[in-house]
Amino acid sequence: MTTIELDRPAPRAAISWTFVVGMTLVGIHAAIALLTLVWTPYDPSSTAGGRLEAPSLLHWAGTDRLGRDLFTQIMIGSRIALQVGIGAVGIGAAIGVTIGVLAAFATRLLDDALAAAFDILIAFPTLLLAMLVVAASDTASLWSAILALGIALSAIVGRLTRILAKRVLQMDFITAARTSGTSWPRIVVIHVLPNIWPTLMVNFALQFGLAAIAEASLSYLGLGAPPPNASWGRLLQEAQGTVYTAPFGAIAPGLALLVLVIGINLFADGLRDVGDPTRRRSR
Amino acid sequence: MSLLAVNNLGIATGGQDLVADLSFAIEPGQRLGLIGESGSGKSLTAMAITGLLPPAIVPRGSVTLDGVEVIGAPERKLNQLRGAASAVVFQEPLTALDPLMKLGNQLAEPLHRRFRREGRDLANIDAEIIALLERVSLPQPQRIANAYPYEVSGGQRQRVAIAMALACRPKLLIADEPTTALDVTTQAEILALLDSLVRDLGMALLFISHDLPVVSTIVDQVLVLRQGRMVETGPVKTVLGAPQHQYTQSLVAAARAFDSALGAS
Repeated sequence: MTTIELDRPAPRAAISWTFVVGMTLVGIHAAIALLTLVWTPYDPSSTAGGRLEAPSLLHWAGTDRLGRDLFTQIMIGSRIALQVGIGAVGIGAAIGVTIGVLAAFATRLLDDALAAAFDILIAFPTLLLAMLVVAASDTASLWSAILALGIALSAIVGRLTRILAKRVLQMDFITAARTSGTSWPRIVVIHVLPNIWPTLMVNFALQFGLAAIAEASLSYLGLGAPPPNASWGRLLQEAQGTVYTAPFGAIAPGLALLVLVIGINLFADGLRDVGDPTRRRSR
Repeated sequence: MSLLAVNNLGIATGGQDLVADLSFAIEPGQRLGLIGESGSGKSLTAMAITGLLPPAIVPRGSVTLDGVEVIGAPERKLNQLRGAASAVVFQEPLTALDPLMKLGNQLAEPLHRRFRREGRDLANIDAEIIALLERVSLPQPQRIANAYPYEVSGGQRQRVAIAMALACRPKLLIADEPTTALDVTTQAEILALLDSLVRDLGMALLFISHDLPVVSTIVDQVLVLRQGRMVETGPVKTVLGAPQHQYTQSLVAAARAFDSALGAS
């Protein structure tokens, strides 16, 4: 025991440049998404512009074949992508973490059954799942896409949670907690969840990016939000027919999706360090 | 009535006996050392006493702790017993503490339960945490309470682990090789600390170790285990001074040979 340690400076967070860049890129998207709630350059359904115009000062990303402003639609696409990411990861996390922790505690037989269920759901084509959800809810909407992606994600989250929780449950401090009379639910809340949380958070961030891409695919196929509040996938699909004469219609939404996913992946990378107290306190 | 009564305890997995025909008792305030080599069933016995054997390992016979039959008892009943009747200090203080939880918060957990059990004001928990850290001779208790396990030394971690066991105010303290992972100087300090705490708080002690010199300094009675069976038992002086069984003789001879080798060098 030395007193030298007392004099060391207050711990500071170690934040990597990837975290900052990632957070900035995601932040820009989030700011744009919020902005669309109160203001867009044009009314998204207004066809006032000329058809298939190239980018100009009036229309920053040009116009589509109906004369609608593309920049406005891409901004709304930001909102939709974030809605899908938050919604799908939220549903996936709620179902996945709950069932994953239960599986870690379950008897051998139930645990095996749940593990098999996760594997089957992961193998199940997300596209087919989305079609089933659309069929069940009569119409393709943003919510059917979110629900389908959330269910698909829950299997991935569940499988990860189960493995992580099992590993934590084998640690000595769990036995130590039990010898002093800590109940199982309390152990889950104070020991298991905090110890698996950093890894889960990184995974959630990565799933967020995957959900945004998956939603673009679903929308491209007509299984997502219908126009005029269309997602980037729908914009890509609409631009497909005119890609040779007006390539901006496809490039612009593609670029927006690319920036968002890169931002999220960098953010996830930085999140790993933030969740680790040994790194959190080192300078 | 004995605080702990173990009668014909057997522990088996897959038809194989890991511990068999083990009987002993600990009276309130008494200190018993459980001696044996690795795999002799010492730690399994400790786990059986607290009802914490893994599902695949099955106990039989009888273990009565503070008047409650442990074997076959439901989890709910065991949880009331754990902490109040017994607490455990483990071998490896680093893994026995949650790496992501501040030491003060970890101490607060058993304290919370004890305060509720005793109907005391929960607002005094913070003061009690500091008092406990001082009780185990940790300097700067405020700093330790705010530190994560990796921020303090191995000896300090073990003191915190002991403080956590004390927080339960148990009638029986089970120390499972509490000094094995520590260097010799720290070992002596921890042993002295355990010795004074057990005396001052009037706890009974079940001290598990493979290390004869360590055991002989802290307990009055010893029980020698070999391959899950009792070999010899009695007061420390008798068993270690004049061992009757061949196995105990070889243990004592080995410890002596080690001592004289150190003395000769």
